[in-house]
Amino acid sequence: MCLGIPMQVVEINGFNARCEAKGIEREVSLFMLQHEDIQCGDYVVVHVGYAIQKMTEAEAQSAWEIYDQMLAAEDAQARGT
Amino acid sequence: MSLSAQQWLQRIHTLNLPAPVKLMNVCGGHERSITMSGLRGALPKAIELIPGPGCPVCICPEEDVFEAIQLALHEPVILLAFGDMLRVPVNVPKHQPRSLEQAKAAGADIRPIASPLEALQIAQDNPSQAVVFFAAGFETTTAPVASMLAQGVPDNLYLLLSGRLTWPAVAMLLNTGQAAFHALIAPGHVATVMGLPEWEFVIQQHQMPAAVAGFTAESLLAAMYSVLRQLETGQLALDNCYPQVVRSEGNPTAQAHLQQVMQVVDANWRGVGIIPASGFSLRPEYAAHDARQQLPSYADEARRYAGAMPPGCDCAQVVLGKIYPNQCVLYGQACTPRHPIGPCMVSDEGACRIWWAGGLRQSQG
Repeated sequence: MCLGIPMQVVEINGFNARCEAKGIEREVSLFMLQHEDIQCGDYVVVHVGYAIQKMTEAEAQSAWEIYDQMLAAEDAQARGT
Repeated sequence: MSLSAQQWLQRIHTLNLPAPVKLMNVCGGHERSITMSGLRGALPKAIELIPGPGCPVCICPEEDVFEAIQLALHEPVILLAFGDMLRVPVNVPKHQPRSLEQAKAAGADIRPIASPLEALQIAQDNPSQAVVFFAAGFETTTAPVASMLAQGVPDNLYLLLSGRLTWPAVAMLLNTGQAAFHALIAPGHVATVMGLPEWEFVIQQHQMPAAVAGFTAESLLAAMYSVLRQLETGQLALDNCYPQVVRSEGNPTAQAHLQQVMQVVDANWRGVGIIPASGFSLRPEYAAHDARQQLPSYADEARRYAGAMPPGCDCAQVVLGKIYPNQCVLYGQACTPRHPIGPCMVSDEGACRIWWAGGLRQSQG
């Protein structure tokens, strides 16, 4: 449950943002990042709908690489059962 | 300097390691990444990777799950829980619902959610009904729950809080003096929220190497190399191998929200017992949203002692890193993801479920 997912901020409305990853958009709260300057285009780590930290685009991409591998491995196992 | 996973592995293979070295992680995300990237097979044989208390669903007290089930069955409420909690079994006679999923099938209004934002929305959409959010989780999950309350919630939203802190469980293991591991891989997203200093005790008080890791193979291997190198040289220092996201001070806003809304209390861990200062409870200022104070109680003190893991289930040993998942006699036999006996086979963060998903099907118990 503690796995944060990197997402890109698409739109900001007060403490609420629309964020995107892998073509999927989600409503995300920026309430926990009040100490940060968050702009559209920034990347954030999202956990249970809340952005918990900013991250760079490069880190977001490398995180997604491992998540893709993990999901693919889990899918393959699930199909095998 | 950024090395590839292969380069980190090469470095690890060049280390002059003593007898078997056991590295414990305390994060389901780490265990998933380790298992799914096949890191165990790629490391030198002398290195053992032990999954420790890293699954909040697994250690959520049985009496809390029982209370959530009873509230949903007997009170006119909508009960919300993170999806992982729905299949966690409690110990009840056969004819009674033994999970939130079974209570839902019996007619209770129970809804899985993935975010506190959904709880907020459901409470707003159902103003005349009490909405109970059964919120289990470690710091990374509990901080957003605190933020939700700090920002303000409708009067009809109540928290059945089962939040836990990660480090006190590690402290408890180390304080027994019988810790079955030699170094700690500390959880990256807990540290993202809470900061690095809370893990210093591992080095300062127990002279044990520790490093914070992220979730890529590179970050995990960097942390493993770091703690192995600390063991080799005897020069210990808490290493941050996830600097892209983890800052020393953590997330100050999240910590302020936790401080404002919750207090740290002694708390029960399923199969483990009471760990001092390891749980969150709502501060008196938020009593109006505390399900335990505002709704009828189904708490039963006796369950604290009777309500450990199901009979025959070794989840308690697995959670503490004392045995591997496949050393439980039920693993892969009576206990599978389709028919889980214990919580470690239920949750995506549970070591048993992760090892099963990683393809290990046979018990050695």
